[in-house]
Amino acid sequence: MRYAILLLDAPYTSQASHSALRFTRALLARGHDVEGVFFYHDGVHNAARLAAPPQDEPHLVDSWAELAREHSVPLQVCIAAALRRGLLDEQEAARHGKLGASVAPPFELTGLGQLVDLGLRCDRLITFGP
Amino acid sequence: MLLHTLNRPPTSQVLAQALAGMGPDDKLLLIEDGVIGALPAHREHFNRVAGRLYALQEDLESRGLLPLRDQAVRVVDVEGFISMTETCERTVSWY
Repeated sequence: MRYAILLLDAPYTSQASHSALRFTRALLARGHDVEGVFFYHDGVHNAARLAAPPQDEPHLVDSWAELAREHSVPLQVCIAAALRRGLLDEQEAARHGKLGASVAPPFELTGLGQLVDLGLRCDRLITFGP
Repeated sequence: MLLHTLNRPPTSQVLAQALAGMGPDDKLLLIEDGVIGALPAHREHFNRVAGRLYALQEDLESRGLLPLRDQAVRVVDVEGFISMTETCERTVSWY
């Protein structure tokens, strides 16, 4: 089956990011296609390139990136939710005159239309809320 | 048949919203802090979904609640969670 994941809360704030990551890994292990993970509202903080949690804690940002690289899962970040929270890729940082980017591949800034597209295209859309 | 997930304990008003939003054949899966609802003391809150109430094993274990749960609550692990999303037409998340 084709699955999409919608994640709405920041890492280390609630269990949502851990739950979503665990669920996505299990989906892939079960042989499902994960067509995308969409980060919206405070969920965009999962894309924070500069996150540096203590070494004895799970690194959620790196875990998402690793999952994307190993399984070609698109990591789509709502651009409107990201920009107002200071999460900018190189292109947006240049456009807004900011020094340095806080979002890097495999995370991609994208529009809310991509979430609608995932919902229409996939057999299942599973939401992990705050 | 829909799957509903709830990540809030029974003290939350979200529980009433979830129960009101459920159809007669829908299933309710307690996840995260929602698994507190699997304790016997909270049985009365879930009378309307008797036989259709599930709790996520990993979240029960991480809170030390697995041995304390109400035996009427069915326990599923993440694999079982996925299996429920496969068989149910859609999944509604309450939070």
